[in-house]
Amino acid sequence: MDIRLSGVTKVFEPDIVALEDVYLSVDSGEFLYLVGTTGSGKTTLLRLISREYVPTRGQITVGERNLRKISSVDLPYYRREVGVVFQDFKLLPNLNVVENVAFVLEAMGLPPKLVEGRANEVIDQVGLWRRRFLKPPQLSGGEQQRVAIARAMANSPSIFLADEPTGNLDLRTSEEIMRLLLSINAAGTTVLVATHDQYLVDAYRQRLVELHNGRLKRDERRGRYFVDGEL
Amino acid sequence: MASFRYALRDTFRLLFRHWGLSLLTLLTAASVLYILGFTALFAMNIRYIVSRIEGGLVIQAYMKRGVNADEALATVKSSPVVTSVRVVSPEDALEKLRAKLGNQAQAVTLLGENPLPWSLEIQVQRADQITYIVRDLMVLPSVEEVLYAGKLVERLSTISRVSGTVSGVILMLTLIISMLVIFNTIRIAIYSRKEEIEVMMLIGATKTYISLPFVLHGMILGAGGALCAILGLWSTYTSALNAIRSTLAFLDIINDRWILTQFFSFLFAAGATTGWMCSWLAVHRFTSMSLRPR
Repeated sequence: MDIRLSGVTKVFEPDIVALEDVYLSVDSGEFLYLVGTTGSGKTTLLRLISREYVPTRGQITVGERNLRKISSVDLPYYRREVGVVFQDFKLLPNLNVVENVAFVLEAMGLPPKLVEGRANEVIDQVGLWRRRFLKPPQLSGGEQQRVAIARAMANSPSIFLADEPTGNLDLRTSEEIMRLLLSINAAGTTVLVATHDQYLVDAYRQRLVELHNGRLKRDERRGRYFVDGEL
Repeated sequence: MASFRYALRDTFRLLFRHWGLSLLTLLTAASVLYILGFTALFAMNIRYIVSRIEGGLVIQAYMKRGVNADEALATVKSSPVVTSVRVVSPEDALEKLRAKLGNQAQAVTLLGENPLPWSLEIQVQRADQITYIVRDLMVLPSVEEVLYAGKLVERLSTISRVSGTVSGVILMLTLIISMLVIFNTIRIAIYSRKEEIEVMMLIGATKTYISLPFVLHGMILGAGGALCAILGLWSTYTSALNAIRSTLAFLDIINDRWILTQFFSFLFAAGATTGWMCSWLAVHRFTSMSLRPR
């Protein structure tokens, strides 16, 4: 599913400009890094695509949908097509790994057998099979991140948004997470990753979009985190 | 179907996760609904007693001598509030007098010609309607005198009116209290699961899926409270009925199983509906606010 942002501006009350006049096209099945310093607008852009926010000005279309015009009745169905890995994971602490993943599928009204089968499948994919009955507080940061990824990919979304998926993780775990995201992309899912991780961006080179003070500063196919000569 | 199963599971999770709060709400709802039911039963019985007395009240209209009751009969029959009317001829009245006098019935012969006039015995549905009929009869030229229990009629009307108003006010108050209690309990339950609901919304759960466990939770608390109140009321009413039968046998209070079953069914439905409405309002407010784009 493709994503088109045209002249998107987001201003938070009273006058904080998070994004300003952003034009961006992401084709279906593409992998894109969103980089930039803290406060550059990466998270805002992801939240606009997941329709947590609506733009102050401009239009966002995802597939055939204009996100400004989406009704509250259609919104849940749109969100089922977008898998989101939140910066703070947003896992439910009183549910175990299986229940945290199954929770998404149950909300879609799938029958229990199907829910159980699919939840186990994605948990196995992210390598948490042996830890599936533990609750989030009993898991490490990397494992929690993987649960969040499993939950986001459980309903096979067309778009996958990950906000700092490797933040605070060691290099080995970060690489595992990256490989997981690339495998999701290889299955045809459009993936947008907001990150600060220079090493990973340079090691797994993909399209790179840099934001600076809410404006689009750079858009490169197979770009590096640092522009040549900057280092 | 699967969604409903998940909703039921979540409803019981809600009930038992906050069991203390659930129990407190159930007891509060039960107390409030007990007061509501008690007030309603009291008002129903007052109304029942008053209507039984009213049904027995008779207006007696006496015609002028030598004039028959046709004109008055026509007036009375045209009124929709009249339940029955009986024409008493002078002969019938004399027979009645003789019967009443018993051993002294011979004294009637001393009167010579029958001095008693034509009269009407009229019954109406409610005491407050008597005054209108009396007024209509008094203006007729053929009517000499109208007798009725004026003071009693006024008192019965007042009792009926006051008890209706007081019980109406108490009913409204108790209904509002029970609604507020259930509304707030559901709101607390919602806020305790705020994070969970927000995640559910972000991952594409519909409003119905999110709301259903809370609505069922509210309905169970309302219906459970009503059930406890019904049990309490049933026991109180049965004891009161037995006590009245043995000490105030002349007092005619409601003892019809059909009326009481209908009343308790209504109370149960009121409890469940209140629970459903309040929880729906609370969860609808929350989900609508959360879904509003920022």
